[in-house]
Amino acid sequence: MEGRKLYLPRASVLVAGFVIAGLLGLTAYFFPIFQVAATSAVSSGSLPDALPGPTQPFTVLLLGSDDDAKFVPDRFNSQSMILVRLDPSAKRATMLSIPRDLWVPIPGHGTGKISTAFQLGGPALAMKAVETNFRVRIDDYVWIGLKGLVNLIDRLGGVDVVVTNPVMDDFYPADVNTNDPYGYNRVAVLPGAVHLDGIHALQYVRSRHGDLRGDFARSERQQQLLLAIKDAHLNAADLPFLASAFSGEIKTSIGLDRVRQLLALAGELGGSGITREVLMPPYTSETTIGGQDVVLPSWRLILPLVHKTFP
Amino acid sequence: MKQAAVSAAVVLAMIAFGVGAYNTVGSLRGGTTAFQRPTSSLVAVPGTIYVAQGGALYRLRDGSFKQITPDDGWTQPAGSPDGKQVVAVKQTVNSGDLFLLEGDGRVVAQLTHNDARRAERNHWAFYPRFSADGATIFYSYDPKDPFNSYRVDLAIFSRPADPASHGETDWTLPNQYTGGDTNPMPTKGALVFTRFSIDEHSVMHSQVWLQGRPGSPGVALTAAADDCAQAAVSPDAKRLAMVCRHGELRSMRLVVVPLDLVSASIGPPAAVVSGGLVASPAFSPDGQTLAYLAPASPGGPFQLWTVTLSPATGPASPRQVTQNLSLDSSSPPAWVAS
Repeated sequence: MEGRKLYLPRASVLVAGFVIAGLLGLTAYFFPIFQVAATSAVSSGSLPDALPGPTQPFTVLLLGSDDDAKFVPDRFNSQSMILVRLDPSAKRATMLSIPRDLWVPIPGHGTGKISTAFQLGGPALAMKAVETNFRVRIDDYVWIGLKGLVNLIDRLGGVDVVVTNPVMDDFYPADVNTNDPYGYNRVAVLPGAVHLDGIHALQYVRSRHGDLRGDFARSERQQQLLLAIKDAHLNAADLPFLASAFSGEIKTSIGLDRVRQLLALAGELGGSGITREVLMPPYTSETTIGGQDVVLPSWRLILPLVHKTFP
Repeated sequence: MKQAAVSAAVVLAMIAFGVGAYNTVGSLRGGTTAFQRPTSSLVAVPGTIYVAQGGALYRLRDGSFKQITPDDGWTQPAGSPDGKQVVAVKQTVNSGDLFLLEGDGRVVAQLTHNDARRAERNHWAFYPRFSADGATIFYSYDPKDPFNSYRVDLAIFSRPADPASHGETDWTLPNQYTGGDTNPMPTKGALVFTRFSIDEHSVMHSQVWLQGRPGSPGVALTAAADDCAQAAVSPDAKRLAMVCRHGELRSMRLVVVPLDLVSASIGPPAAVVSGGLVASPAFSPDGQTLAYLAPASPGGPFQLWTVTLSPATGPASPRQVTQNLSLDSSSPPAWVAS
């Protein structure tokens, strides 16, 4: 009887010891995620109080910025804005690229290019500008900087894309990993199916000078890169590996639960379940206002298109 | 003493368990693909195939790869008709130049000098190809637009293969702001190449074109909606292999069509490879097999594959020649007999 009394606590200690050791191992593995979560800006204002459930459709605003040394930290324009609607139960996704030069009212700041909303008020104002102009509700945002995108692609081991035509640019900004952020170099991304590393993927989605379709072609390429990242077959075990690459180059309001949901959905999305929209003419038209090249929206055409998918 | 040893063993076991949990979760990662330098192939292929990876040229012969240039921007090798020499591109940040090499990678001569001090005054040279007689080299080159420095469109040029000779000939007039004309394939006095265009809905298309002489109008061999590109012509100039994507961005087909140079037309396509991504086909010296590049798994880096073309039974199953490499898929395999 005495021996049994001693035996049970020892067994419990042993089990508890192994459980704690296992949890420590898992905590160490996932530690980079907690670091990113700690440095990510928690979004404010325009977010609804109740987040949609795990199977409910939700909308994410993807933001990308030139955050090189030319700019004051945290005062960047958003060079890329893509509104993404994800429907887990229907296994559908819709991507809508918003032209960076779209000339719209920016809440509290008059009228300007929609890309300046991020500079004026961070992700909260960027979301609000999109919500009020497009009359949609946004649940979350993800912002990524130049090096963040490069690191992400490199950590994935590169991505496969089909380059539809030669992407040629004699004035591509040479502002990543350089002492001269105002320099430029030449870019030639050759056509066909290719496997791109981070630097070349950034060139592919950022170059715009040599294409007749300018910023619209760039928007298409950005959507294409998102599809390529989706095809990288990520799962939750990849997150710490990726998170450790960002070091302040990503900010998001998305919680871990939603990240897991996104990863699961990405694996289930087929090509036919993905709709891509770029607001080219006739949805928009280009003009000059106050010496600035801007894109004017035709809301009469845009809003019905948007509201087919985005509530 | 014995109890202390047992306790130490238990603590070590717990630490090992914790490390095991860390490694087990790590092993579930699915996103990355490791690749290595080419050393040997999965299967032997007859003759010699030159490929590019990471800025270096490699020669595959008898199942073994040999690196023939340093990792220094080398890509797009093409063999001379006698199989003794190779013309290839050496690319820097701002320019690309053509070099003539021996089969073992020794530089014979630099054929072009496209570098300049100011970035925008540099030029590119891509996709070099010998003519059937070996006397001329065709390639893509970016002549400058004097009226708009933002326009960079490749056009097809030719020059003598003899390094001592000069005189470039401009063959094609590309559609503006499309990136230009690529993948020249000289064949029996004509030129096959890829041209890009933008339709009325702002959608980019690629077509395979045939042109008889420098500056002539040329004719499109494929429809814009088929989005065909990267054509390779068989040694007897009677068949053409190309990659067509039909507006898709994640799915392509490698097709072979009969080619009639006299009537400037092609016959019905036969799909050799369907689905997934595929790039840069090249015929074997006897014209019976195609080499091409494709990922071994979706999203992965590109490997070398071959597929035998049998007129009687149709194409055989593709054979994967390499694994765990990351071959430059913009660089067609150069397959020579020797």
